[in-house]
Amino acid sequence: MGEFAKDVMEPRFLTVTPEQTITAAVQVFRQAAEATGERVFGLMVTDHQGKLVGMLSMYDIFLLIRPKHIHIWGEMSDLELSGIIDAACHQAGKMLVGDIMTTDLITITPDTHLLHVLDIMIKKHVRRIPVIDAGQVVGIVYISRVFNSLLEKLTGAAAACR
Amino acid sequence: MPIIDHLQVLKGLTVQEAMRRQVIRLDQNAFLDQAIRAMTKFKVNALLVMGQDQAALGVVSKTDLMTAYYGGLPLQTPLESIMVGPPLFCQPQDSLDVALDQMREFRVHRLYVRGGENEAVIGVLAFPDIVGMLYRFCYRCDRSLLQRRERQDDLNWDESFLVREVMTPEVTVFSETDSLFDVMGGLAEFKFGAVPLADSSGQPTGVVSKSDLVMAYLHGLDPETEAKLVMSSPVVVCDQEELLLTVIKRLIFADLHRIFVYKDRPQDLVGVLSLSDAARFRSGSCRACLVSRIKI
Repeated sequence: MGEFAKDVMEPRFLTVTPEQTITAAVQVFRQAAEATGERVFGLMVTDHQGKLVGMLSMYDIFLLIRPKHIHIWGEMSDLELSGIIDAACHQAGKMLVGDIMTTDLITITPDTHLLHVLDIMIKKHVRRIPVIDAGQVVGIVYISRVFNSLLEKLTGAAAACR
Repeated sequence: MPIIDHLQVLKGLTVQEAMRRQVIRLDQNAFLDQAIRAMTKFKVNALLVMGQDQAALGVVSKTDLMTAYYGGLPLQTPLESIMVGPPLFCQPQDSLDVALDQMREFRVHRLYVRGGENEAVIGVLAFPDIVGMLYRFCYRCDRSLLQRRERQDDLNWDESFLVREVMTPEVTVFSETDSLFDVMGGLAEFKFGAVPLADSSGQPTGVVSKSDLVMAYLHGLDPETEAKLVMSSPVVVCDQEELLLTVIKRLIFADLHRIFVYKDRPQDLVGVLSLSDAARFRSGSCRACLVSRIKI
């Protein structure tokens, strides 16, 4: 395993567009997981030219589903709450990706050093970073890939010490 | 929110017991579209605008964004251009009473809470949160009217209150062919959060709220667009004779803050019921505690 973003990035990725609904985006989450064989908790949002315009995470969708007034009804034991999750998901599913995506983007290039990637993930509290080359998305680096890469190196270092 | 594990009345409650610790904030150079997305995602009506040195400079609310839309500002306008500042602050140890007086005096719905050695912003005290918390306290208080009714009359209290007892008996209906400009003007003039729209026969067909208007702004709609294109439909209505509990449940399920109220026929709107109305009424049922003196 090398020492740069290109060595740990996932080159297989699916994207969503700002015009897609959250319901449609959730389907893409599933497809992306099937395509890569890994759990996917965040997707890149691209426009029709393929340019990165945002990120959509599982947390964004959680926020959307969380009922606005939950602080009021949390202790109302006299309310029948069956169906509340279905109702919240129905409401959230109609929203557009572009309505809630994060547009304050952090990106790296294929040649960004792995320790620099690590530094960004720690400082910015991000778990996935798009990789951009010549203005185009070429991959995505997941925190799990970085961790696995470092595990290999740590294991190798430990073996060398023995 | 604190866990309510005691039955005392509210006197002596402090800001830190009612404040929300998650403060949604954006940089002064962030654009209006970022603010709309943040408010939509976090379901808040305002956010804090921060300076380069992490100082809290001002506040941008949905009303401010609606005004920017009305004024034709581009979405790529920095927040510092429309923010209202400086924000109003309180301290975590301030009494809720004092904080509420401050909110009334300055006619704001929220105060930001500063604390710690560096006086950083550590929370926000917003009126809906206070209402919710008061409701929770009062719900458990054995001095409240709710409890006394149950004991004295042997009635299920939730069957005792009707919508008409709690609603605001005032509603202004717009035409669905009115422009977004017209609706924005109406919301500003009457200080409403949302208005119902009706077709040419007077039948209510939808609702336009400030949230719908800022989303229209984000989607780049011309303010001359007919309001029916952005309205939420159908109008969520209830009969004024319906049980309060049933209607609260409907509001919660629809993730709405308000419902329009009719008398006899669904097209005859006579008022509006918000969760704040409901919470105020039910929290205010006990004259022995501070709750009953809170004005919304």
